[in-house]
Amino acid sequence: MPEELLRKAFEIHGQDFENAGERSAEVTTILKDLDVDPNIILRVGIVAFEAEMNVVMYAGRATLTLVVTDHEIVVEVADEGPGIPDIELAMQPGYSTASDEMRDMGFGYGLGLPNIKKNSDVFSLQSEVGKGTRVLSMIRLISYG
Amino acid sequence: MDKLTHGFRIDREKCQGCLSCMRVCPTHAIRVKDAKAQYRPDSCIDCGVCLRACPRDAICATTTPVEDLSRFKFKVAVPSPVLFGQFPTGITPAQVVDGLLAFGFDEVWDYSVEINLVARAIQQYVDQWTGPTPLISTQCPVVVRLVQVSYPAMVDQLIPVQLAREIAGREAKRRFSARLGLHEDQIGVIYITPCQAKTISILQPAEGVVSNLDGALGFPEVYNAVLACRSLKKSDAIKSSRPPVIRNSGLLRMHVSEGMGRLVQQHRYLRVTGLSNIIQVFNDIEKGKLRNVGFLDAYNCWNGCAGGNLTVANMYVTGSTLRSLASTLPEMDPVTEAEVERRFPNEDFSLKAPIRPRPVRGAAASLKERVQMRQLAEDALASLPGLDCGLCGAPTCRELARDVSVGDASKNDCVFLSKSRLQDLRRVYLRNTA
Repeated sequence: MPEELLRKAFEIHGQDFENAGERSAEVTTILKDLDVDPNIILRVGIVAFEAEMNVVMYAGRATLTLVVTDHEIVVEVADEGPGIPDIELAMQPGYSTASDEMRDMGFGYGLGLPNIKKNSDVFSLQSEVGKGTRVLSMIRLISYG
Repeated sequence: MDKLTHGFRIDREKCQGCLSCMRVCPTHAIRVKDAKAQYRPDSCIDCGVCLRACPRDAICATTTPVEDLSRFKFKVAVPSPVLFGQFPTGITPAQVVDGLLAFGFDEVWDYSVEINLVARAIQQYVDQWTGPTPLISTQCPVVVRLVQVSYPAMVDQLIPVQLAREIAGREAKRRFSARLGLHEDQIGVIYITPCQAKTISILQPAEGVVSNLDGALGFPEVYNAVLACRSLKKSDAIKSSRPPVIRNSGLLRMHVSEGMGRLVQQHRYLRVTGLSNIIQVFNDIEKGKLRNVGFLDAYNCWNGCAGGNLTVANMYVTGSTLRSLASTLPEMDPVTEAEVERRFPNEDFSLKAPIRPRPVRGAAASLKERVQMRQLAEDALASLPGLDCGLCGAPTCRELARDVSVGDASKNDCVFLSKSRLQDLRRVYLRNTA
């Protein structure tokens, strides 16, 4: 059983484009402080950033939780948002419900969720329409023999 | 030479412990203990901010002593193109070359060919790259070290192509040893540098290998020799009879305003100068705010290498001189083009070793211990005043907290937490007035 070493929660606010990316930057700062392998930091950074952007674009409020154990890094983002009606469709690269404004800012090209999955060793997505979405990504620190 | 991880030395006689250097250091690499500044070499990126900040000239940069050149049988100068923009109007590149020869060099190397070779290698690398962006230019050694120290996750985005001056060093040694029947060790290839960071990148390359160059001299060391030489020849009113040292404008344009822009313009190129601006850009990249940059060309000095700390002339004047010089030259010339075509397929331009992140303090411990240390630092920080006064000898409360967590300092170094600390400081700093 992996031992939990650190747990930290961050609030993310929807539509706050100005501060978008700040929470995931805090996550990478912590991991840098802990001298985690740069490639792992890169992957966690992408996961946290994409998840944060999803909240900023589509949801009202969310909590991003970073958990570091001696075996893995877990990023969980649980939001109070509209939920995703068709998860399979949402996971398809290129599928997006973003507005033109979001695309003008360089986001909303339907690559967020696939990118999170691609960078995770374990990925799960639960969503209920009208309630919210929970994205969980786990990245292993060490490979098991 | 013993292990040199950074390029500065502090003269303990001159240093009064005034905290100026510590306060401005962008990577928090300086501490002040017993009224003397000292470096944490692992964090120093050779940017030179401390050098300028010191009011007592107590900090000096590592350089190659001129006497060192006498150990070579044959000496080749590889001048940074910025050198040609340092002199008053009327002094041509050919005259600058004459001055370098009079200074004691046997040959002056024109590295237009190498610049073009390296440019082509970079272009190929960038075109084939499918990894994370931006790719980061390695032209400025300070930027390379900044990535190693502060943005370790981006080290693989540094372009692993050797610098043109390194290729020039290799080729000069090869060519002159063959021509003169000398061993390559007997040929000294010296870079004439606009900044101390490049000197250090030659003495100790970031990738941990041995440079092809044998050292570097700053512009001030050759400046007078060039001017003196010219004035001697003035009576002859001759134009130097030497072949042109700069055959095309590419070399100059790259060092003035374009950077690598022309090479990689289709790759969403961004040029940034000035360390504080660079740090801001890197932070924005980390935060995902700059997602659409393909190629980052960053230079520690404002305005690029013309603003280097070993230059003599005003950087804007230098830029103007180089621009007008470039306007008289063709973009490419047949001699250079033929050489590039001949050499490109036969030479390897990739970096001899990968650039790795610099190990950080406390990295030897296990992850669990590192988490504990971090918690210790957070707890220590919570008890500090948050004024960043620097009297503890660390630049910020956060840095002191970090030092405490790894056992390098005590919370009692803070004047707010220890009564005797102020007494101690008074004794050290007011010793002459007591």
